[in-house]
Amino acid sequence: MRKADEQGFREFAAANAASLRRTAYLFCGDWHTAEDLMQSSLMKMYMAWKRIKDLDNLIAYARKVLLRTWLDEKRRPWRRAEQRDGELPDAADATVDPDTTSAKLWARELVHTALLQVPPRQRAVLVLRYFEDLSVAEVAVAMGCTEGTVKSQTARGLATLRTIVDKLDNSSGRVAS
Amino acid sequence: MSEQEIREGMLLAVWDEPPLDFDPDTLIRRVEQKKSRRRALVAVGVATAVIAVASFSLPGLLPRDRDTHLGAEVQTTTSAPPSVPAERKAQRLGDKLAESLQAQRKDLKDVYASFTPGGFVYPPYSTSTSAPPRGTGDPEYTGHVYLTDIIGPTALRVVVTKAGFNKQNFCTSATLCRDVAQADGTIVTEGEFFQGTTDVQQVEVARRFESGLVVQIGAYAYNPSNGSGRRQTVPVSVNVLTALVMDSAIDWE
Repeated sequence: MRKADEQGFREFAAANAASLRRTAYLFCGDWHTAEDLMQSSLMKMYMAWKRIKDLDNLIAYARKVLLRTWLDEKRRPWRRAEQRDGELPDAADATVDPDTTSAKLWARELVHTALLQVPPRQRAVLVLRYFEDLSVAEVAVAMGCTEGTVKSQTARGLATLRTIVDKLDNSSGRVAS
Repeated sequence: MSEQEIREGMLLAVWDEPPLDFDPDTLIRRVEQKKSRRRALVAVGVATAVIAVASFSLPGLLPRDRDTHLGAEVQTTTSAPPSVPAERKAQRLGDKLAESLQAQRKDLKDVYASFTPGGFVYPPYSTSTSAPPRGTGDPEYTGHVYLTDIIGPTALRVVVTKAGFNKQNFCTSATLCRDVAQADGTIVTEGEFFQGTTDVQQVEVARRFESGLVVQIGAYAYNPSNGSGRRQTVPVSVNVLTALVMDSAIDWE
């Protein structure tokens, strides 16, 4: 690859790696897997860089690659599933606001418990629509399906997510809004 | 739960994002390593495929009698030896002639023939499996029909040629020489040679075809295949030779 192309890829990767990892985290619910997905996607893009470097919306293409990489990874029957027996508790911090912390913990619970129970393609639609703020048309391009499919998947995903959140709230005593 | 709450929840879910330790150079290096590994793997695969295909196809491409060819000297000449079908055809003629003679003379024993394309090969009992290269004026086929009568073993001499027929030469020194027209239009020239004795020492017949082919069969008071086996007279008469040369079962042409 030419030095100029390589420099272009280097700049693109450095600028978008964090954003792609966040999206990947919402897909898979694990920061380590998210980092692997982000790196795999960027490697694929590097190998195809000569062909794709002149695309109008490179970040949209990157999201598409990331989504395909994650879905492919999930489909593999020999997919390595990490067995975790728990997470280390966060260290106590006396300076933080309990209300803020509570909201953040609920949000993490939302991702870890509720979002991860939504089927993969519906989850992908929800993440792209509400986290990445993409339009229906953009999500359809990223997922390689029609806009109608995006709408129906969004509706089903929201319904599933709400049902799971209601269950979580009922079990924890929190009142769903 | 509203869409806005979901949006905020997702944003809050990534608040404790661990620091990103990402180096594009490391990633590029890994990709290059992966590429070179893939190329090496493809090269090994191609090489394996080539070896496998070669090992399967080469035995089929090599000549079947490879063992004999490998042990033999390398042939540097480009002139091909007489083809096997020509030799077979010559021998087939001889076998037919031997059958015909045996049918006419049931008293004869051990009747068999040895024919080759081209001229006579001396000694006639040569163990060579292939005839020498033919010259321009050489006969088509030559050979002997071996037989054993009450006196002993002897042979008839046969020449099939396209080199023409000279009756004057044929009849020189002949005691009796005549043309006998046959029913099929061909002419058989019969010759008897007494050579100053009271018994026939040599009989010869020559059949001429319209194509120019001449078949000549001779019987002698000796064995023409080796020059020995002297006897008082010829083993078969001129009539037998004429019958042999006219036998329709033998495809001379």
